Amino acid sequence: MSTPRPDDAAALPAVRVGVDVVEVARVTRLLTEQPGIEQTLFTAGELAYCSGRRRRDEHLSGRFAAKEAVLKAFGTGLGTRMRWTDVEIVNAWGGRPRVDLHGEVAAVADRRGLLDLDVSLSHTSSLAVAHAVAIWRHDHG
Amino acid sequence: MTRDEIYEHVQTAVAEALGLDDDEVTPEATLMDELGAESIDLLDILFRLERSVGVKIQASDIGDHVQGGIPDDEFGDENEIITPAGMAQLKTVMPQIDEDELAGKLRADEVMSHFTVDNLVQLVESRVNAAA
Repeated sequence: MSTPRPDDAAALPAVRVGVDVVEVARVTRLLTEQPGIEQTLFTAGELAYCSGRRRRDEHLSGRFAAKEAVLKAFGTGLGTRMRWTDVEIVNAWGGRPRVDLHGEVAAVADRRGLLDLDVSLSHTSSLAVAHAVAIWRHDHG
Repeated sequence: MTRDEIYEHVQTAVAEALGLDDDEVTPEATLMDELGAESIDLLDILFRLERSVGVKIQASDIGDHVQGGIPDDEFGDENEIITPAGMAQLKTVMPQIDEDELAGKLRADEVMSHFTVDNLVQLVESRVNAAA
């Protein structure tokens, strides 16, 4: 592929990234002190996946960071009518995470021309980090 | 519920979520810059308020409350600087904003750094009154 001339730049897709880091202990405290918040933050599938893991809160923290990272790549944060569960982190075969969008977040992605979305996450006993990359149609708002 | 009662609920929620003493949570303290609230803390604070006050407020509601229904492109100009119409709106929900100091300078992404405990009390109060 040849290097695009400046005149062509407006026609290129726009790449937006989002990154988030969260302390696992902070997520643990939130989940412990706020009974019921799990269902606000995570889908049934995410809870089922993480509950089967030895370091459950690390995995949930990674998913929380991934949701934040995705919303940063959208440039919106959690916008009006959006729910945390609209961004679902699904583990595909081989363990690689995939993002499934639902509800208002999916609608915004559709309206603004999301072409592709990828996420990577990692966690230790103390920190969880996630990085999202969104590819948008060049004329997205 | 009186404003003082709402203030006490907000003060308790903020202090508990952030691990602060109640007296550190003053009305004029800014939630993010001065008290150090991150988005997960905001989520925690709003969930605590839902349980103690009985009104559901999402993090996005704060931004909507601050912007007052003004579309993005009218709230901030092409350089993301808050417009005069945006400043007029901000003065209604964040009356402590120094218009003389910030007019023509305040960027849209800086607005929330000026959001105080008292501003949150006003938002909760408006929701409580709307639900009454």
